[in-house]
Amino acid sequence: MDQSHIRNFSIIAHIDHGKSTLADRILQLTGAISDRDMREQVLDSMDLERERGITIKAQAVRVMYTADDGETYQLNLIDTPGHVDFSYEVSRSLAACEGALLVVDASQGIEAQTLANAYLAIEGDLELVPVLNKIDLPAADPELHARALADLIGDDPEHVLRISAKTGQGVRDVLEAVVTRVPPPAGDPDAPLRALVFDSVYDQYRGVVAFVRVMDGELKSGQQVRAMATGSDFTAEEVGVMSPVMTPIGHLSAGESGYIVTGLKSLVELRVGDTLTLTASAAAEALPGYREAKPMVFCGLFPVDADDYPDLRDALEKLSLNDASLVWEPETSQALGFGFRCGFLGLLHMDIIRERLEREYDLDLITTTPNVEYEVTTTSGEMLEVRSPVDLPSPNHIEQIEEPYVRCTMLVPQDFVGAVMGLCQERRGNFVTMTPIENRQQVVYDMPLAEIVLDFYDQLKSRTRGYASLDYDPIGYRQSPLVKLDILLAGEPVDALSMIVHRDSAYARGKGLVERLKETIPRQMFEVPVQAAIGGKIIARETVKAKRKDVLAKCYGGDISRKRKLLEKQKEGKKRMKHVGSVEVPQEAFLAVLQLDGASGQ
Amino acid sequence: MTGGDPAGVAHLYVHLPFCASRCGYCAFVVEVGREDARDAYLDAVLAELERERAVLGALDTVYLGGGTPTLMGAERLSRLLGAIAPMLAPGAEVTVEANPETMDDALAASLAAAGVSRVSLGAQSSRPHLLGILDRRAQPGDAERAVRAVRTAGIPRLSMDLMLAVPGQSAGDLAADLEWVVAQDPDHVSWYELEFKEGSAIARGPHSPPDDELAADLYEQAVEGLEDAGYRWYELANFARPGAECRHSLAYWRARDYLGIGVGAVSTLGGERRRNAPGLDRYIAALPGGEEPPRTREAVDADTRRRERWMLGTRLDEPLDVAWAGDPDNPEALVVLEDRGLIERRDGTVLLTRRGRLLQNAVMQQIMDFA
Repeated sequence: MDQSHIRNFSIIAHIDHGKSTLADRILQLTGAISDRDMREQVLDSMDLERERGITIKAQAVRVMYTADDGETYQLNLIDTPGHVDFSYEVSRSLAACEGALLVVDASQGIEAQTLANAYLAIEGDLELVPVLNKIDLPAADPELHARALADLIGDDPEHVLRISAKTGQGVRDVLEAVVTRVPPPAGDPDAPLRALVFDSVYDQYRGVVAFVRVMDGELKSGQQVRAMATGSDFTAEEVGVMSPVMTPIGHLSAGESGYIVTGLKSLVELRVGDTLTLTASAAAEALPGYREAKPMVFCGLFPVDADDYPDLRDALEKLSLNDASLVWEPETSQALGFGFRCGFLGLLHMDIIRERLEREYDLDLITTTPNVEYEVTTTSGEMLEVRSPVDLPSPNHIEQIEEPYVRCTMLVPQDFVGAVMGLCQERRGNFVTMTPIENRQQVVYDMPLAEIVLDFYDQLKSRTRGYASLDYDPIGYRQSPLVKLDILLAGEPVDALSMIVHRDSAYARGKGLVERLKETIPRQMFEVPVQAAIGGKIIARETVKAKRKDVLAKCYGGDISRKRKLLEKQKEGKKRMKHVGSVEVPQEAFLAVLQLDGASGQ
Repeated sequence: MTGGDPAGVAHLYVHLPFCASRCGYCAFVVEVGREDARDAYLDAVLAELERERAVLGALDTVYLGGGTPTLMGAERLSRLLGAIAPMLAPGAEVTVEANPETMDDALAASLAAAGVSRVSLGAQSSRPHLLGILDRRAQPGDAERAVRAVRTAGIPRLSMDLMLAVPGQSAGDLAADLEWVVAQDPDHVSWYELEFKEGSAIARGPHSPPDDELAADLYEQAVEGLEDAGYRWYELANFARPGAECRHSLAYWRARDYLGIGVGAVSTLGGERRRNAPGLDRYIAALPGGEEPPRTREAVDADTRRRERWMLGTRLDEPLDVAWAGDPDNPEALVVLEDRGLIERRDGTVLLTRRGRLLQNAVMQQIMDFA
């Protein structure tokens, strides 16, 4: 199709602000899906995502729309992931578009993630179409939010569309705005092929399916294709579009979006952000902006039952097929035995993976405290990447430790600004700016990522009664005075409970942690000292008192079998405990550190 | 192997299930009321005894338990004891359980005449509010009267049962019970921790057990108080004047064979444990036509026997002979337990220390793999 009749666009919206409903309406209005086949939220295909109301994997849907000018346009709606952990994926989806709908709930207003993604779109020179959704709600305040939205993108409040995706009101105006305001693509159809991979999924029957936007040139099925960053070569086994199911069409030209069945066996061979070109006539230069998705958060995953280790390995392998950003390597813990150290894009990503392992693969897991990756320079000048506290060299071998920092953008109602700033200060944040947006403040802090991976988001929500929203972006590594905090049970260090903390908060953390462990570890036959130590020096101690009585009251001839069975049952109950030296430790203890703030009553 | 001891089984238990009412904590096989069935039941018991008597040798101990055996009445008890008398070895211990309110001079005299040498009185407490929670029927003064009756009849041994960790029981309550029981001067005391057994009324009721700390305090208070009064803590829940230990119970804890007769009764005979089914009518129907009463059977294999010998033997204050009991599953645990002061080891024996005894379950879990 002539590029002047093509529009590539995406929808930027906060969770629950109505992105999926709007996408559904667009599919209905353009006849891409019949009302009868209408399934709520067609674009979110996984149950887990549906439950959490988020979208992990982007997809692209093509619809044909006959506009008020009588012309028929090809609209490619490119979906974007909706969470802070996936901002790189969002940026690639936006790079495939010339425009974006900026959808905001008319009763809630702008949220931090919307803001962050709007900035990404503005940086990428996308045409933003501001849309206020849910104007049918009684609490909607379209005038207030329209002004703020217009201010944000430097537009006239009159240009802000007011719609209800739920009732369908104004949705046609949205499509008209896409046609009239979003510019058509401007690629060179005669140049060598350059296609941006903005998403990829693994299908067990067809291998890796790539979602691409063709920037220049043309791609036909059967052609030999090369991924320029990974160097993978493959045949385009099938070329097509989602409308909204996979429909082979044989070729994609400059300006169009669609999918390619690659036959590749692993997502590692084809990364999001890569550029596809033809092996025979390769483009000289790849498209800009590629970077490898880098895991930011790490934790140990150990099977409760050591026999499940091979099953855990299989499950991780299977999940990796469809998730190139999940990394893992074997890890051995003295306390927990054999398991894996896993890396995730962020905390949500970690939660999703852990939940899928437990739910879909029926595994009983112990998760250790999440941590970030540290860059350690040793006294001999060596540079180490430390992903587990266990790997931290002893203090006298450390020249310096650097930790990843992020820039946190929070949107906070005026009344809670003090509470949020207090929280950020506690978490070693450096104040950057504060800007009023609507009736709220945009508060920006630079903070160690390590402080966020603990429970920052929960704390932020609880201290603002759920009103604050958060987005963050990595801004590089900074040197910090960090120390390893060890936990000793009955005098023995427990590697799986070690953590890396700031020197100034080590005492408070150590104290909180031993208090928490004291509550979590049941009484044993012996008194169990629970100690926190830094470099061999004990900084906090609690004691799990010895159990005084554990006896079967009476036992005569008629009771013997029953008593024996009681002991057998007790034994069964203990299987869920981990033996750490002579101490039986329940699974929850290994995550005790996450409840630190709750326990210390802050 | 079901024959057991070649010299014949020396310990007989007879279950007499009748009760005037069911106590809240009770999960035993009992029959409330059913006065009409008592003659038929006695006939059935005598028939079962006749059926099984081939396994018996000379009886060293006999125990009539319940239920409330005394509800059978003096006449029926005399008939039962009369049938057993020819099987007794010289000096045999013959115990009858009794609730205080069912014991009077006439019954005591009749039991003495029938050869009863020991009465075990289920007093449970002297505190009316605790007796109320336990649904006991005894009134103030009943227990004292029962003690006098047993003594007057010349029955040489008297044991009293008491309970601890009853909901609402304070250290003061326990001290009062302690003083009271010592004043009655029995030669044997069983002081049990109340179990909230699944299926018992008390477990379904509004009361919750005292917390672990208080229960441990009460347990220690009972042990120390009775020791101070000259009783030996010879088993986890049992105390005796020197020489007045219950020989019948000792047979259980020493993992001897025993024959159990009556509805719900359990026998351990060599490699087999069997339990007569509960259900009075079915029991009465099967016997005395000479049929076997409905039973379940459980094999006690070598591993089970070894674990039971440890489980039972370490309840006593006498050292467990490891060569007799069999090897521990986790010998290395013995070293740790000894270092931690929970057991003592000497000349191939293992003895739990005082602290170890209160943790007997946990100690057993370390030493043996109950699986």
